[in-house]
Amino acid sequence: MIGNDIVDLKLASVQSNWQRKGWLQKIFTESEQDRIWDAENSNHMVWKLWSMKEAAYKAHQRLFSLSPKYNPNDFICTDSNVMVHNYNYQTVSKQTEKYIYTIAYTDQSNFISKVFTDKSLEYKSKLVYYIADVMNVNLSAVTLQKDRNGIPYVKIDNRVTDIAISLSSHGSFSAFTIDL
Amino acid sequence: MTKEELLSKLKTIIEPYVQNQEGFQNISEDTNFIEDLEINSANLVDVILDVEDEFNIEIDNDGMDKMLTVKASIEVIQDKLATK
Repeated sequence: MIGNDIVDLKLASVQSNWQRKGWLQKIFTESEQDRIWDAENSNHMVWKLWSMKEAAYKAHQRLFSLSPKYNPNDFICTDSNVMVHNYNYQTVSKQTEKYIYTIAYTDQSNFISKVFTDKSLEYKSKLVYYIADVMNVNLSAVTLQKDRNGIPYVKIDNRVTDIAISLSSHGSFSAFTIDL
Repeated sequence: MTKEELLSKLKTIIEPYVQNQEGFQNISEDTNFIEDLEINSANLVDVILDVEDEFNIEIDNDGMDKMLTVKASIEVIQDKLATK
């Protein structure tokens, strides 16, 4: 199972003031807040931990077909792991000066992922190309849809598949992850 | 406070974070903040903090969990106002 999340650091600094009173406390545990203040770059750590929680939320939501919930506080980051209730997700993050990207996954995952930095936001069509190629079907046979919980899924020839995908976009950046 | 007054205050709070103005024009109880208004998920924290300030209430984790739609937010606010 997989989930991903990308944060455009420039846009995040315009959209959110994480130093606002009460902001960190609503999202992060005390030990996560310590980790933020102890970090060399607190701003980067805020968005890294946020992307870890978001990516794990998506993987967890998909795994159990959960209806949407706003509960970042339930996702607890320790090192590169995210624990929610009794479930653990591993994460891998890529950080540049411009964005932070995290993929959360379970042990059995065999995923590939791609980040787009060209503002073209072609990530969805690129994912469709990729699926058509791997599954050896016509491009027009592949469609991406969302279920009633907002979880994206892949249809091939109008049939629902069990291919796990995750999509994320923020500002100039976008990404897909697919579990094959 | 009537539901209409509450909705009007909630609209004022969320407006700065809305990225889909068409969705905002057509706002109803069923409106979803993320799907319909394209509010950035990190900004939902700001919505919750603004709601706390405006109504002088505290939204706990259980309340926060639900605050993804107009309808659920109004219910959470009414609930907190009633037990104030």
